[in-house]
Amino acid sequence: MNIELNTSQTVQTWLQGVHEQSGSTPEADTKRLQILAEFCAQVEKQPDEIIDDCLRDVDGGGKKIRAKGRRFYADKINEFEQQATGSSGEKRQKANYIRSFLIHNGVLMQTSPLA
Amino acid sequence: MEFKEVVGRRRSIRYFLPWKPVAREKIQIVLEAARLASRAGNADFARAIVVERDKLSKADLQALTLPVNAGMIEMAPVHIYWWGDLQAFTRDMPSRATEQVNMGVLNISHGWTHKFVNEVAYPQVVQVFSSDPVLNAKVTGCEAGLAISQALLAAVDEGLGTMLCTYPEGPARQVLGVPDHWTSLWVQFLGYPAEGWEAGGQRPRPPLGSLFHEGKYGTPFRGSEETVAQLRAQKMLQDPAPLPWRKEEVRAVSRMLGLPEE
Repeated sequence: MNIELNTSQTVQTWLQGVHEQSGSTPEADTKRLQILAEFCAQVEKQPDEIIDDCLRDVDGGGKKIRAKGRRFYADKINEFEQQATGSSGEKRQKANYIRSFLIHNGVLMQTSPLA
Repeated sequence: MEFKEVVGRRRSIRYFLPWKPVAREKIQIVLEAARLASRAGNADFARAIVVERDKLSKADLQALTLPVNAGMIEMAPVHIYWWGDLQAFTRDMPSRATEQVNMGVLNISHGWTHKFVNEVAYPQVVQVFSSDPVLNAKVTGCEAGLAISQALLAAVDEGLGTMLCTYPEGPARQVLGVPDHWTSLWVQFLGYPAEGWEAGGQRPRPPLGSLFHEGKYGTPFRGSEETVAQLRAQKMLQDPAPLPWRKEEVRAVSRMLGLPEE
């Protein structure tokens, strides 16, 4: 499956948010995009499709979260984390890239703290 | 800690050390502060259920979770679920007012007698507005809020991190088994901050005069620079958010806790 990262509006929104709000450097974008591409391949969806699955338009403008879609991807991210390679911290960090992608696109996505 | 510094240091703490428990004495102090808050008719508006996170089943913790409280509910080792007792005023006021007349709290000098309690204050005031659901909810929420505010300040004074958040009323009723006449207010999270107590700095507030008026609406209350300087010295007014290192702090704390960093 060919993942469209360069032309994706949601990917641009994500990277812009990561740079501006979180002060992260663009140097790490390659890694971010690589992880997102891996996740997209796993769920067989393009980035924009993932966000579309989690949000719906509301009358009068704006978006509302689709609970079912959000729950679906929350579970998929948990699976992605479990299947990832590396230490528990590295696995979590990979999954958090995906959570970050959703969060910056308006999909509230949280995870349990590592205790 | 001095009172003004306690007020100045209070922040909504959103990162807690999940593994560090809160001593039972500190929880008691928080509840005692709430118990002693100002309250109309000396009635028991504020009610609470204290829950130790680790004593909740996974299913119950899930039931109490909302998207907006999800991080804190798992990090904070203690939750205080605050409720408002909608029957408090009608149930408690007559006996408490009578008690206060007997104790010399409510006195002839202000027109208070047993006759006034029983024939005027209760039937013509308390009963009337307690029968109006909107008024009753307004008074209950305000009165309970006074108690909750003191609970927050007491937590800060005890060196704890604390914040208020929302919780789902229906599931909370089931999990906590509260009576039907309690209405949900806020959950107060308690724990030790995983972030610095400054939590990025004092939150910005509009200028005093834009919120508070003098004489009548539209005339801003005028504060003095001398008082501002005094409050700074007493640590009630502190450096505003964002402190220069906040982004790095959030990143480090998030990484430590395994939360999204960016």
